[in-house]
Amino acid sequence: MQGYIIRRLLLIIPTLFLLGTILFLMLQFIPGDVASTLLASEENAASPEAIAELREELGLSDPLYVQYVRWLAKMARGDLGYSVYFNQSVWQAIKPKIDVTVTLAILGVAVAIAISIPAGIFSALFRGSAFDQAVRAVSAIGMAVPAFWLGIIILLVLARYVGWAPPAQHVDLWEDPVKSLQRFMFPALILGFRSAAVISRMIRSMMLEVLSEDYVRTAWSKGLLPRVVIVRHALRNALLPVVTMLGMLFASLIDGAVVLETVFNLPGIGLHLIESVRGRDAVMVLGMVLLIGVFMMIWILLIDLSYKVLDPRVTYE
Amino acid sequence: MESSIEERRHGAGWQDRLTGARIGLWRFCRQNPAGAVGGAIMLLMVALAALAPVVAPFDAAKFVASRYEGLFGEAKGGEFLLFGSDHLGRDELSRLLYGGRVSLMVGFSAPLIGVAIGTLIGIVSAYYGKIFDILLQRLVDTMLVLPGLVIVIVVATAFGFTMTVVICALALFSTIGSIRVVRSHVLSLREAQFVEAQRAIGSSSLRIILVHLVPNTLPVSIVLVAVGISGAIVAEAQLSFLGIGIKPPTPSWGNMLSGAQAVFDLGPHLAIMPGIMISIAVLAMNLFGDAVRDALDPRLRGRGEE
Repeated sequence: MQGYIIRRLLLIIPTLFLLGTILFLMLQFIPGDVASTLLASEENAASPEAIAELREELGLSDPLYVQYVRWLAKMARGDLGYSVYFNQSVWQAIKPKIDVTVTLAILGVAVAIAISIPAGIFSALFRGSAFDQAVRAVSAIGMAVPAFWLGIIILLVLARYVGWAPPAQHVDLWEDPVKSLQRFMFPALILGFRSAAVISRMIRSMMLEVLSEDYVRTAWSKGLLPRVVIVRHALRNALLPVVTMLGMLFASLIDGAVVLETVFNLPGIGLHLIESVRGRDAVMVLGMVLLIGVFMMIWILLIDLSYKVLDPRVTYE
Repeated sequence: MESSIEERRHGAGWQDRLTGARIGLWRFCRQNPAGAVGGAIMLLMVALAALAPVVAPFDAAKFVASRYEGLFGEAKGGEFLLFGSDHLGRDELSRLLYGGRVSLMVGFSAPLIGVAIGTLIGIVSAYYGKIFDILLQRLVDTMLVLPGLVIVIVVATAFGFTMTVVICALALFSTIGSIRVVRSHVLSLREAQFVEAQRAIGSSSLRIILVHLVPNTLPVSIVLVAVGISGAIVAEAQLSFLGIGIKPPTPSWGNMLSGAQAVFDLGPHLAIMPGIMISIAVLAMNLFGDAVRDALDPRLRGRGEE
């Protein structure tokens, strides 16, 4: 077990190396590097000499392999680089944003679980009923309506017909929970609702499969309470394949965060990524994407490990 | 009955094929009514978008009305504007039709190109195996670490925000996803007896791949395309909305939404209409894609073979 974890953690290194190299090469294609973007924003200095000077200073005029080796050496030291565009080191710029995105993600997952588990269970128990049909219809719509548009429409309805807008200033969740939740509520609901659309369908089909198993019939015939049969015997086994889905859920959470943070103007990772893309800041994009990659790999590892908790029969080699 | 072998050797005539296709289509519609409806809606949308120059009442780039004309508004010349006008006084309906051309073009072509490339790479990888396969799988695993939108964003950053780049970026994403699915499918095909027989009679690898493995992988690839289209439509809309996809003045359903948030008070319909088009397209394509999957899923094949 420990050996497995260590091996998986070690595997992150070559994957990151490969990923970083691909991204590094890809981002070389950006036309007009940071130097020209930076100087273009200042009115006076757009002369080619100034640009060349800044390029020299930033090491952008060195041959590609020199830049690559320099970048690798930095990565090896855990230094994600310095963004000239934001005038901050990548890590400094990202650190305060992680909080926002993680809060959004956790709230989103909470909403997803709160909706999808009861919806999945009851639509499986009452298969073909009006409730089941309603859940299927809502989840079909939930999968079709793009998250960012749902956000726009909610803001539109709130502003136009309710006369309310989420507070514009960002506040920490622990400082002022009420105000903070007002900001996070709608993006989290949208994020959770969309994930729930996928997960509840899956729980439904897994529950249907499990409910016809012998051990569930045995549990019923033993005269156990319905709650015990459904939650302890059926649900627990039905959730196992659903956990696999959580890996994808994380990816879709990040995708969702990118657009929802933009719509709701939340200063998180997603909004920052879009800003660095607009500023054509290769260092920042590279650093952020690598960090997302690390998070993603650790997340997938945690999911793989959670099988053991859910199913004691699972062994790792 | 007697002529069946003879017929098979020369291939069925076109009348027979047409009848076969008609029966197949009828069966598909009967077994998947929802999917058939989805397919029909999609067909209608594609037709309207393709015929945009004919059916659109106005040129999408012309200023034909006062700004922010509401639904059922009126143009300067007194013409009826079903969906009103946008922030520059252009006809919203015409822009939706022309925007549909772009959005659907990206939505259909990206998975088509991506899965085609992914299928070929997946087949070659599984068929030859060895070091090529191992390296490729590591590469695919590495790319799969990233969320789809992030991959597309990086590609779009590197190569600029044009329609070609957006299509290529989304195609890359579906290539990565399809390589893995196709590979695992071909791994089992490779050991099948008909492939072994081909090898025994001395067929070249190229012939085995093109004549035997590609057709046998086709159902898997078709499902991947059908399921991928709705995702590509949403992805394009998101990118263009974020301002890193297709740039105005070329209308796309995504970039038509990007300015709409700022002008809620003046033109709420501008925030609503493009989103409805995206939602209908995605819903229709989801229904159709699910039906295609049910109809073609190789795991369900062979059970009800007539």
